[in-house]
Amino acid sequence: MTVVEEARRTANGLRTASDSRLARFILAIGTIVVLILVFRLSTNFGVFPESWDVGLADPIDRARRWLISNQTSHWLYTVFLNPITDAIDWGIRRLESILKWFPWYSYPSITGVGLWWTRGRVAGVLGLASVSLIGIIDLWEESFATLALMGVSVLISMIIGIPLGIAAWRSDAVAKVVRPTLDAMQTMPGFVYLIPFVLLFGVGRVPALISTVIFALAPVVRLTEVGLRTVPQVTVEASEMFGATERQTLRLVRLPQARPAIFAGMNQTTMLAMSMVVIAAFIGAGGLGQVVLRAMQSIEVGKASEAGIAIVIMAIILDRFSTGIATADPGHDALALRWLAVAVTVVAVVGGLLGHNEFPESLNWQFAPYVDDATDWARDNLYDIGGSGIGTGPFSDFVTLRFVTPLRELLSSDIPWPAMIGIGVVLGLWARGIRLAVGIGAALFAIGFLGMWALSMDTLAQTIVAVAITLIIGVPVGIMTSHNDLLRTALKPVLDFFQTIPSFVLLVPVITLFHVGRIPGIIASVIYTLPAAVHYTDLGLRRVPAEVHEAAESFGATRSQRLRRVELPLAAPELMVAVNQVIMLILAMVVIAGLVGGGGLGLEAVRGLRRSDAVGRGFEAGIAIVLLASILDRLTRAIADRLRPPAAV
Amino acid sequence: MDTASETAQVRVEGVWKVFGRKPGEAREMAEAGATREEIQTATGSVVAVRDVTFHVDAGETFVVMGLSGSGKSTLIRCVSHLVAPTEGRVELCGTELTRADHATLRNLRRQKMAMVFQHFGLFPHRKVVDNVAYGLEVQGMDRQDRQDRARELLDTVGLEGWGDHYPQQLSGGMQQRVGLARALAVDPEVLFFDEPFSALDPLIRRDMQDELIDLQMKLQRTLVFITHDFAEALKLADRIAIMNDGAFVQVGTPVEILTSPADDYVRAFTQDAPVAKVLQACSLMRPLDGTDIDPGWPQVSSTTPLETALPHLLGSTSPVVVCDEDSTPVGLLHGDDVAGVISENRP
Repeated sequence: MTVVEEARRTANGLRTASDSRLARFILAIGTIVVLILVFRLSTNFGVFPESWDVGLADPIDRARRWLISNQTSHWLYTVFLNPITDAIDWGIRRLESILKWFPWYSYPSITGVGLWWTRGRVAGVLGLASVSLIGIIDLWEESFATLALMGVSVLISMIIGIPLGIAAWRSDAVAKVVRPTLDAMQTMPGFVYLIPFVLLFGVGRVPALISTVIFALAPVVRLTEVGLRTVPQVTVEASEMFGATERQTLRLVRLPQARPAIFAGMNQTTMLAMSMVVIAAFIGAGGLGQVVLRAMQSIEVGKASEAGIAIVIMAIILDRFSTGIATADPGHDALALRWLAVAVTVVAVVGGLLGHNEFPESLNWQFAPYVDDATDWARDNLYDIGGSGIGTGPFSDFVTLRFVTPLRELLSSDIPWPAMIGIGVVLGLWARGIRLAVGIGAALFAIGFLGMWALSMDTLAQTIVAVAITLIIGVPVGIMTSHNDLLRTALKPVLDFFQTIPSFVLLVPVITLFHVGRIPGIIASVIYTLPAAVHYTDLGLRRVPAEVHEAAESFGATRSQRLRRVELPLAAPELMVAVNQVIMLILAMVVIAGLVGGGGLGLEAVRGLRRSDAVGRGFEAGIAIVLLASILDRLTRAIADRLRPPAAV
Repeated sequence: MDTASETAQVRVEGVWKVFGRKPGEAREMAEAGATREEIQTATGSVVAVRDVTFHVDAGETFVVMGLSGSGKSTLIRCVSHLVAPTEGRVELCGTELTRADHATLRNLRRQKMAMVFQHFGLFPHRKVVDNVAYGLEVQGMDRQDRQDRARELLDTVGLEGWGDHYPQQLSGGMQQRVGLARALAVDPEVLFFDEPFSALDPLIRRDMQDELIDLQMKLQRTLVFITHDFAEALKLADRIAIMNDGAFVQVGTPVEILTSPADDYVRAFTQDAPVAKVLQACSLMRPLDGTDIDPGWPQVSSTTPLETALPHLLGSTSPVVVCDEDSTPVGLLHGDDVAGVISENRP
């Protein structure tokens, strides 16, 4: 945060309009201080009064009970929801059985050949080995359940997303509705989508799939629209000049040229869907996610690592494949590989007919015991090294006691709730204006009325600590990579890796070292989000034009002067976008971390998913997460806009 | 400006194109003589084409020459109806485009016209042969037939064997040959060229111009050609229209334009034009009118550039005899006339 503050101050100093801005800023800070003092002095205010809880939970629980008892009789189910459920369920099962029909060895070989074709020999060998590994560690069956669910999710996302993208491209009216909706859908932690669908469909693969589709839909819609918009006008004119109908132009000229963008969208959609694997397991998605989840709940780190690695392998291979398709050059051709592909297909079909579909047990080998040993060792030896007070345990305690707990106390009770709302309103007013201020105020009140005040402040405190750590590490690293191409190239695969793996999997090694509690959640969020912080900082600084660098240098600025006076102020809006991204990612992660002892809103929401008598509370927690996410998102975006230099007239 | 001929294949009458919200107001200002900038400041609208009228006969090459921003690109889009004119009439092969419904327009485009674009407008996702076959595919011709026809045309433009490449694998000049083949594939009566050669290197541009002239000799289509290159206009055109600020300044044959430029704007172009190269003996010759031809007078063919005839004229005071293809004398070229044109050209 400090760097951004600094950047903002210098940025303000650079601009002519800075005086009034500075005055507004001081006014905002002043108001906040006064608010806190006023409410502190009267002892009536502390935690949001419980009696104001509107009790949304009870009607929701009643609705849930009604839905369960009417699931077989009411027309809403018999005519509408049940057929959908059945069709989707049939699709997943069907795909799973088709996938399982092929012989086990066809998967490693298809992956190997495919990656060799699109990415080279090394990638091919690695692909072959890593797919085999999934079978070796005896997660073959579970992988198919996950793969089938992913396949159907991505397919449905494409079926809905591409036409929606076309509609948004064709009609501005549609675009005006679709775009903000997608923005909002992507902002929300994937987790919150589970709750309403569990309410409607109960637990099972179908609500898991629908939540996954909703969470993963945005990129394919957005990139279809972008792809169509960026088709060169001259090719469209050429098509029109030949008397093509609009439909012909769309089919023969526009869509084929938008195909790389659509595939890029499909890639991102696949990745988002993969990141839901474990989360969706909460409501019965089954597969690898369920293995991770069960293992985590019983702290079987070895088992969780195995399943986690299987998910990572699947995610990376799907990613490489889909980017390979997206970036494939139409002229690319390799005869030998083509024959190899034919050979693999033939072998796959023949093997399938012969029934070689089970992964041979003789090849099984588990590494879970070794991981468990290592975990035990780490627990015994690293948690508190030699009783010296140094180790992950004391570190954990230190961060908890010095930062997380005090901050939670500060937000939830030390700062009286009316003052918290006042702070939100003042920040909104300062960053954008009256509308945002009212929106933030209303959202905070709503959180209070839902009876989620204390839990939300707990989650907010964890988020703030994690964001601070991420920025303290990420921004300087981003500054370094922006000045050093070598470092950037070296870090890129590491950062890519951490962004590709599903967020939940990161919790596994962290729990090994830090046990359960708030700290592993925070640390996992930091690891998960660091790549984004580094990337956006780097991007922002690299956007500063070379001329500006040279100009600064020609005045004899030192490196640090150049950085502080020129680069950071100019990159300030980009950095604020980085902060926005970091906050949203961390919030999503902190919610997930609720399951491993993070507490807060996440835990409440999970309880709602697990126990049918807690659905109402879970739903309320879900709404509180949405409200919190919206507030933080709008506020940070508004601040980013505020930092942008005035546009040229 | 000129009287519409009976055989005209393209007729354009009083065409206006105004971009922006207030076309009526902008048009009134334009008629009162306001410049584009004045109109834009006052109304926010841009008058791209103002009151253009012309016709193009069958088999004629009509070149519209103007600098960037003169409205020539918008004009060709109005004529081909890629952009609907704000006002005026456009008639193509006897059908009034400005009144045609979608289906009529589409059929006309499928059968009668085609266009070659400045930046080629090739489809990067289709092989060269499928690019050329595009118009035929849109018409519903089956795959084998359209590919055969496309390969035939690739031979015509000198690209045999390149059909299975993708356009972006070809050089600029080759890409524009593909563009040309694609336009010719549908066997159009009218061909529109929107600065087709301006993105090419000078030497390749010259080759393409020569080839277009050869092709036109064989095919005899009606060509409407847009360019910002005056030399290109002189080389290709039967008639040239000089365009400035959305309006035609002068329309005429290359000789007419070179020998009597309408105003200073046109003169600015003719000054730098290589007159002696462009003008041919026939364009400046005087009729024989029964003059006795001295057998000692030098003879040149009617298509000889003035440049080549110049040494004969400088060597003596006698005229040069201009002969047609059968070496029959058709006129006399006098030194005074040639000197007059060249000096007009270089004040």
